[in-house]
Amino acid sequence: ANTLRLYLTCIRNTLEAAMCLQNFPCQEVERHNKPEVELKTSSELLLNPVLICRNEAEKCLVETSINSIRISLKVKQADELENILAKKFLRFLSMRAEAFQVLRRKPVQGYDISFLITNYHCEDMHKHKLIDFIVQFMEDIDKEISELKLSVNTRGRLVATEFLKQFI
Amino acid sequence: MILLQSPSRFLLQILKDRVVSGDKGVDIDCHTVEFDDVRYHIQFSMRNPKVMVLSVALPLAPPEAILHDGLPLGAIDAIKAAYGAVVQILDPPKDCFDVTMKINLTKLPTDEEQRNVVLTRIASVREVVLGAPLKLLLRHLASKTVAPNVDKLVALVHRPNESFFLAPQADKVTVVYPMRFQDSIDIVLATSFLQEFVEARRTAALNNAPSCMWSPVPPLELKGVNADALDANAGFVTFVVFPRHVEGRKLDKTVWSLLTFHAYVSYHVKCSEGFMHTRMRRRVESLIQALDRAKSDAEKLKKLVHGGSFRRLVCANINQTCI
Repeated sequence: ANTLRLYLTCIRNTLEAAMCLQNFPCQEVERHNKPEVELKTSSELLLNPVLICRNEAEKCLVETSINSIRISLKVKQADELENILAKKFLRFLSMRAEAFQVLRRKPVQGYDISFLITNYHCEDMHKHKLIDFIVQFMEDIDKEISELKLSVNTRGRLVATEFLKQFI
Repeated sequence: MILLQSPSRFLLQILKDRVVSGDKGVDIDCHTVEFDDVRYHIQFSMRNPKVMVLSVALPLAPPEAILHDGLPLGAIDAIKAAYGAVVQILDPPKDCFDVTMKINLTKLPTDEEQRNVVLTRIASVREVVLGAPLKLLLRHLASKTVAPNVDKLVALVHRPNESFFLAPQADKVTVVYPMRFQDSIDIVLATSFLQEFVEARRTAALNNAPSCMWSPVPPLELKGVNADALDANAGFVTFVVFPRHVEGRKLDKTVWSLLTFHAYVSYHVKCSEGFMHTRMRRRVESLIQALDRAKSDAEKLKKLVHGGSFRRLVCANINQTCI
């Protein structure tokens, strides 16, 4: 539990350093403006990607470029039940990516969920509040999955008790 | 509603309404489908107001569950015993149904409470018909005997093309359910529920309940059964029922509980998924609100200017300074 605080602080510090985005029109195609972190065509526009691992199961990849930053998360899945709950919940969120604006519709290969933040988002929203949101999001995912698992176990116990009580 | 109820609410409502309407009323011709493919057809005509015709169709029986004249063993006798003169079985049953009964409304008790008891029993026709062979075996258990000519392992139908198994002995009956689900999420949720059954049984309060075990592979009692019938993606649940669970008034309740065990677990798995969806939607809303807070005041003001009048702009400013 105490590693969670350290993990989130590390991610927050990394994001504060990495989120210096400016508008950068595309070098290859006239009048286009693309998130360079997704294309990865020009190496001078990209920073070194940073991988922050809490343990073997949980990690966070931060890839930065001149006009965009991509954050990918791998969430803890201890057993079969947590596995399907995490998948269900994160798919639910990814399908509503439009409402979240900074969420990517598909997670990056090898991760469970990804964010794509561009310079336009940074112009519209306060940088520190955006970072607050990302960190809050990560905490909420963990909380939600453990609460879902608890609700399944509690319901299972209640259902079983009611059924067996009938025979007494 | 945690437990599945034996009387069908659909049938009970129609029967009660008909009895209350008396001489007034319209013709009824209603079909309905219940969980696990049980169909009902109830008919009433003002030309023949003393009679209602009820037909029941049962789920398709798998090859290992033996039917006698298309019905579970002892079904006809069970109907006669449960309803007496009120119900007359029509032979042959209506097309596409397994049993058709004529309900004689004049033979119902005049006292309202007793009449409701009979109507409730008629609405529980599913338990009477499908549960007939199970009731026979459990009645023998209550008297600590075994029915003659019964196999060591009996297969009874409870879902379309699926059966559960009973190993009847004089002092106990072992019931084994192969649990099958179609959706992969259902399988994981059901497995966790079924393991809770085993855990719950271990608590002191439920010491007198039937003992309960779960295993991912077919238990020894099912040795020799056809492999198709043993394909179960959520494991096997075994209950051991003793005479004390089937004595006197408990017999009917035990029959219904065992008959609908798979449906019960399935129902609660679906409820659980529905609940999870509600929770996830609420979480999404709270996250979007958090994101809205990240938006700068300038951005929010821009939105107001585009959409609103000067007065609204002034009010917005006042609101923001007040917060």
